[in-house]
Amino acid sequence: MADEPLIDRLDRIIDALVAREDATAALGDAEAAPLARVAAELRHYPRRDFTMRLRAQLEGRTKMATAVAARNIRAGFTSVTPYVWVPDRGFADFLVRVFDAVETSVAENPGHGTHRELRIGSSMLMIGETGEHGGSASPRPVAFHVFVEDADAVFAKALNAGGTSLGEPADRPYGERSGFIRDSYGNHWYIATSLGPSAVPKELRTITPFLHAQNVGEYIGFLQRAFGAVEEARHEMPGGAVPYARVRIGDAALEMGGPVDPMPGAYFLYVDDADAVYEQALVAGATSLSAPADRPTGDRIAFVQDPLGNHWYIARSI
Amino acid sequence: MTASTDDERSLIEAAQADPARFLELYDRYVDRVYAYVSRRAGSRVAAEDITSAVFEQALTKLSTFEWRGVPFAAWIFRIAANALTDHWRREGRDAHDPPPDVPDEREYRDLEQRVSLFQLVDRLPDTQRQVIQMRFVDGCSIRDVAVALGRSEGAVKQLQLRALESLRKSMGHHG
Repeated sequence: MADEPLIDRLDRIIDALVAREDATAALGDAEAAPLARVAAELRHYPRRDFTMRLRAQLEGRTKMATAVAARNIRAGFTSVTPYVWVPDRGFADFLVRVFDAVETSVAENPGHGTHRELRIGSSMLMIGETGEHGGSASPRPVAFHVFVEDADAVFAKALNAGGTSLGEPADRPYGERSGFIRDSYGNHWYIATSLGPSAVPKELRTITPFLHAQNVGEYIGFLQRAFGAVEEARHEMPGGAVPYARVRIGDAALEMGGPVDPMPGAYFLYVDDADAVYEQALVAGATSLSAPADRPTGDRIAFVQDPLGNHWYIARSI
Repeated sequence: MTASTDDERSLIEAAQADPARFLELYDRYVDRVYAYVSRRAGSRVAAEDITSAVFEQALTKLSTFEWRGVPFAAWIFRIAANALTDHWRREGRDAHDPPPDVPDEREYRDLEQRVSLFQLVDRLPDTQRQVIQMRFVDGCSIRDVAVALGRSEGAVKQLQLRALESLRKSMGHHG
């Protein structure tokens, strides 16, 4: 072996190292040992196409976070506002009766029905009433987690206003007292009072959209890639099912859980750069319903559908 | 370490205000985290998956990092140690195995040395770097490398020897 040139001895040592075989014999070879030590370390050399690809992925996320961080959201709104499509104004009446909602704006859109905006506590809802002629969209019932001072009292009001019970008020193991209602338009209301120090948990507003998803993990991945969502909480069961998770997009929280059949709804998303977020959403797996365009209101809005069937109006407010 | 502490603190604050600056932290730490994870992960694929998870989480959680005397390195290695534990659990490794330690001062010095070695590889002449990459990263035989580079096997062995000698010499200067 001593007659074998260094170049060949070293090569055999490297073969053994790469195959994760015993190469300690190399340490007895005074000439090869120092090189073998360097070679052993080189097994940990990172693939540069990996470190570059990871950098590009992270860069995409940081760009998205910057594009989504809307600096000129309309006063009183947050990054995400649920947009509820219903046939008539009975839904707005329900919100006024049950949640003391205050109507802040209404606009007739000939041929497209009525656009209405209501404030409930610290949250806003947008409503599209399709009207008698059907308008431009179909009703899309959604689910809401709503925090109130007295869940029992509000639950009773919701029943009186035509709601159906999906679950009587009870103390829940996740730190709230809540009862579940389906209104006459099919929307779900998880009416809760926090059992913590204040009726509304500090990380949430009055209303938080609750998105049902079969595969929450995959859906969060989509929201991260499309809208720069940040995951804030995830409860995972041993089998991998996620009954509850919470993400934040811009300054708005979204809750989600499964496995329950999705209730695809519509959401209005204020961003800094509607074109960039639209492109990123398509790359992440959304389907385009309409490319970004300037609207008569002055907003620039794009319209996409996500993998769960939710509609997103991606808007830059002027 | 203290010389760079203020500099690092302002970089972290900048990244908390503007996520794009996070990439500077990535550039500074990716090799260190990879070197730490690679020693424990068991395979290159696992080391890459875990390193990705560490930086995805670091970006997500950066807003919660508070400068209270805990250096950023300790914070990110804690994330890496937790990611390794998760990985082992998924692999069905005994739950009683002790969780991985974040590097102590001695291991941190070893990691720094390894990172210097990685950077020296990046600066090798192109063909030498290709040979190192193909042999150690892709696990190719000398014959495969020779075919890919259109050289004789003897020439590839020669390049391999020269690359290792040059790295050892430069490491000598570092160490």
